[in-house]
Amino acid sequence: MSDQRVFARYRANEIRLDLQNVDIKKFKSGTTKKKNALRKIIVNLTLGNYNEMIDLLPEILKFWQIEDDLEVRRICHEYTRSVGSMKPKLTDEILPFVLKDLRSKNENLQIMALRTLIFVPSPPFTSEAFKFLMSLINHRSDSIELTRTAIYSLVQMDDFDHARISGLLEILLDIVSQSSEEPTIQIAALNTIYAIHEKHQDMKPLGISIDTCFNLLSLLPNLNEWDKGLLLEALPASVVPQTHDDVFDMIDIVLPQLQHVNMLVVLNTLKFIVYLLNYVDRINETLVKRLSSSIVALLNKPPELEFLLLRNVILLLLSRQTPLLEFDVSYFFVEYYDPIYIKDTKLECLYLLANSENLPQILDELEQYATDIDIQMSRKAIRAIGNLAVKLDDNAATECVHILLHLLEFGVDYVVQEIISVLRNILRKYPNKFKSNIREIVEYTDSVQEPESKNAMLWIITQYSDILPNYMSIFQNLTSSLLEEPLEVQFSILNSSVKFFARSPSAETKNQCMGIIQLCINEIDNPDLRNRALMYDRLIAVSGNIGVTNPGISILQTIVDGKLPVIELNSKLDPMVLEELELNMSSITSVYLKPTSQIFRGNRTKLLPQSPILVTDREALKITNYKGLKNKGDSSTKGMPKRTATMSDYDKPAEKVNQLKGKRKSTLNGPSKLARKPSMLMRRLSMKNPF
Amino acid sequence: MASAIYFCDIKGRPLLSRKYRDDIPLTAIDKFASLLADLEEESSVIPPCLTYNNTQYLFIQHSDIYLVAITNLLRTNIAEVFAFLYKIIDVLGDYLKTVEEESIRDNYVIIYELLDELMDYGIPQITETKMLKQYITQKSFKLVKAAKKKQNAARPPSALTDSVSWRSEGIKYKKNEAFLDIVESINMLMTQKGQILRSEILGVVKIKSRLSGMPDLKLGINDKGIFSKQLTEDDTNNNATSKKQNKIELEDLKFHQCVRLSKFETEKIITFIPPDGDFELMNYRLSTSIKPLIWCDMNVQVHSNSRIEIHCRAKAQIKKKSTATNVEILIPVPEDADTPNFKYSHGSIKWVPEKSAILWKIRSFPGGKEYSMAAELCLPSTSSKSEEVQNKKPVQVKFQIPYFTTSGIQVRYLKINEPKLQYKSYPWVRYITQSGDDYTIRLI
Repeated sequence: MSDQRVFARYRANEIRLDLQNVDIKKFKSGTTKKKNALRKIIVNLTLGNYNEMIDLLPEILKFWQIEDDLEVRRICHEYTRSVGSMKPKLTDEILPFVLKDLRSKNENLQIMALRTLIFVPSPPFTSEAFKFLMSLINHRSDSIELTRTAIYSLVQMDDFDHARISGLLEILLDIVSQSSEEPTIQIAALNTIYAIHEKHQDMKPLGISIDTCFNLLSLLPNLNEWDKGLLLEALPASVVPQTHDDVFDMIDIVLPQLQHVNMLVVLNTLKFIVYLLNYVDRINETLVKRLSSSIVALLNKPPELEFLLLRNVILLLLSRQTPLLEFDVSYFFVEYYDPIYIKDTKLECLYLLANSENLPQILDELEQYATDIDIQMSRKAIRAIGNLAVKLDDNAATECVHILLHLLEFGVDYVVQEIISVLRNILRKYPNKFKSNIREIVEYTDSVQEPESKNAMLWIITQYSDILPNYMSIFQNLTSSLLEEPLEVQFSILNSSVKFFARSPSAETKNQCMGIIQLCINEIDNPDLRNRALMYDRLIAVSGNIGVTNPGISILQTIVDGKLPVIELNSKLDPMVLEELELNMSSITSVYLKPTSQIFRGNRTKLLPQSPILVTDREALKITNYKGLKNKGDSSTKGMPKRTATMSDYDKPAEKVNQLKGKRKSTLNGPSKLARKPSMLMRRLSMKNPF
Repeated sequence: MASAIYFCDIKGRPLLSRKYRDDIPLTAIDKFASLLADLEEESSVIPPCLTYNNTQYLFIQHSDIYLVAITNLLRTNIAEVFAFLYKIIDVLGDYLKTVEEESIRDNYVIIYELLDELMDYGIPQITETKMLKQYITQKSFKLVKAAKKKQNAARPPSALTDSVSWRSEGIKYKKNEAFLDIVESINMLMTQKGQILRSEILGVVKIKSRLSGMPDLKLGINDKGIFSKQLTEDDTNNNATSKKQNKIELEDLKFHQCVRLSKFETEKIITFIPPDGDFELMNYRLSTSIKPLIWCDMNVQVHSNSRIEIHCRAKAQIKKKSTATNVEILIPVPEDADTPNFKYSHGSIKWVPEKSAILWKIRSFPGGKEYSMAAELCLPSTSSKSEEVQNKKPVQVKFQIPYFTTSGIQVRYLKINEPKLQYKSYPWVRYITQSGDDYTIRLI
């Protein structure tokens, strides 16, 4: 660029020198040098060198007066914004210059000036900004760009003076519903209203009428990708459909957008459809297929986008008993070069997708991952196998346990720890199914090291002591280092020893049990543990002499060795939470899969708006296939175009589009029936021969 | 709704920034570097979304920089943010060729201007390079010209919000041409024995348009391809064809924003007004099972503490007429292996110690031929790791097959119609099949 590097820290004096030097020299080479010097100022502002740069204000003002090059102006405005947000007081002398730009004829300058006005948090700037915005919105400017910038800026202005902006909302709503406006302006207005409504919890949620909604949807083909995304973002929960026909029409209109290459558009379309599906009386199978394949096609996006997508897939899989999505599990197989966060999420998807049909395929994969070189991954895979056994039926459990035992043979340290831990859960769910394998498992007693696996092993030994002839010696082995164990293991040891005693009261078990109790009371400092030990001590004292017939012992048995409830894995979310998450698809909350209100305060909780057709019981909603539906309720209309045409008709879709056109027009300004005839013909042709 | 966009270096320190909304503290970005460092220490999992103190850091990685968007609004649409960040990389790629720390520092100001145009109050605006170029060059910035030659200097500026936001009016070429490339990438995961675990075809239709005015294009694709729901397979695959599912998921198509989606929905015709220059018209994905085009039979024997033996047979399972070019088979070997010894019939083999692998290159691999190789490497006599934790890296295969598509997709016609100018135009079509990012053989 020039002799000096632009990208470096400078002192105010150095730059000032640069700026002055060039004034003397020739004009042409001077301009580039001056620009370079100005650029240095911006670089230094980014680097946080504020205090030095503030000294340069007089120079900046000088340039503002004499230069009308757009780039110089841009730098001046940027300077104002940075300095202004740090030291608002200093900017008062800049204000006249900004206002001059604002009144200029140049659209770009005007936009720049408006942005500066809004960005600087100082009262004179803000009030000027208000003045300008008011006049702009009342007497519209010709420049689309400027109008759009102005409309978007209202969101920011809302922070300064909410009451004043609220007054403008009516005008904005008018803009949204006027189809004579430029589409991008309509979207800007819609988005601004939406954003302001979202920001203020005390405001009523935004409501858009059905007609306006159809009008807006008809804009879709003419919008650029970001505007499409914004439109579909604002619609869910704002539009409350009142009839099933409306819902199906809306779905039909947005459905093509699933094929857009921009993921924002696809996800927001998906969100809108998922929202609309709360207001239907049936869901068509082909719709499920379309949603699913549109998601699969997005899996090739860069990892960050893929991650977001997978998180939302999890959400959708959780959302219904019969999920809205159907996938071939192989899409979710982990690839070697996937970043770890993707691998993690894919594992979760696999877990959720598993059913008795695809289980062998999934287990094969999980077994592969379990021997993965990455320790975390391998542990998670084992955990997943274990959870699958608990989630699915007992046939599945047999297969899972088989694989786990196979993996156990490798004897790798962390694998053993993890397997023992998950086996406990499986054994709790199916207490009698795997008795024959207990001995095999117990052989690994010496390799358990982590607290969780030790606990699990202790539990297994205690629970199955009746089929383990040498359980006493194994147990003693584990208890030998009682004092060094972590607290949770100490608890387990204590419990187990009492259980042994309660089960087969003998001098031996009593001695052992009392020994451990005494150790816990005398040697360990933890009050909880000591309390527990004391309680057991008293319990045993009360229960009296050794002897199976002693009633005291059987009472002791029921207390310490009662029947355990069957465990279940709870992967379901609370319906309220689900509802909110679905409305927040593809937002930050969807990554954390937690409701906004729970972790982040001060946010509006989104709820499904009431409507006579709101689905109250999701599970009753059947996913049907097309044949059974087509003539639902009225079988005589045999294939005639019905307003409620189903999703699966999309191989002869011209009908539907026409229907909608007719409908929209009738709600607007008189139907033009003439237009329908030629397209009927077209449709015939296109049905016979799609090309 | 991003409040600010930052370019950060590999450590997470800011290089360049643009604030769009005034609702986050200036110091928020300073925390990013330490957040990254903390996470790296804790575990290797660094998700692309971080939260600290009610501020959300959403970022993507590209070469040696991070692109970070900061926001404090929870309803922020992440898809929008990530899609936008990738768009920035695309646009900068067009302007600067390479996007990395050095080029960012060098082109500081132009990036500044671009960021100004790309986003407004955190809402993405115009992101088509061609449109931006006409907008940014207006400001007589020199780098633009340096980065790419300008073809239509005297183009009148038009409002960015035309109904066709991706194409400006008044484009003129002496010779009107459209180049169409159909590139199919094959992803496949095989076991060592050649059994297929997963396979898919990822197709892209790329167009380079050099057309004047506002042409309306109509693309017809053979009905034996995607659209009639039938696959044509080359001769060698005849047996397999009958078993293959005939239905191809139309829904897997994704189109550039210029394609009229509703027209496609209703009439299954692809019509569009193309942006000027290069763009991806559509991409598609087929998950039908396909025969591996380059089939490998691997045999790896590890004699622990002494040596490792690798035998590989590769076969080009394509038409006799076709030829696979630039075939590369990358076979991982243990890190501590040395003294390689190779025997092979074709191509060249080298040991790449930095990747711990051996690379077998065959420049030209005619269809139906079968080549083989054998390698032997010594292992140190003292082995530290137990055998389970052996290297699980897969074998990677790369190849290209010109003039051939696996799915059988073919362009029937590309009609170009410019209503006003009515010029003669020349569409060019080219096909190529290549290996995708993930054409791998899993070693047990």
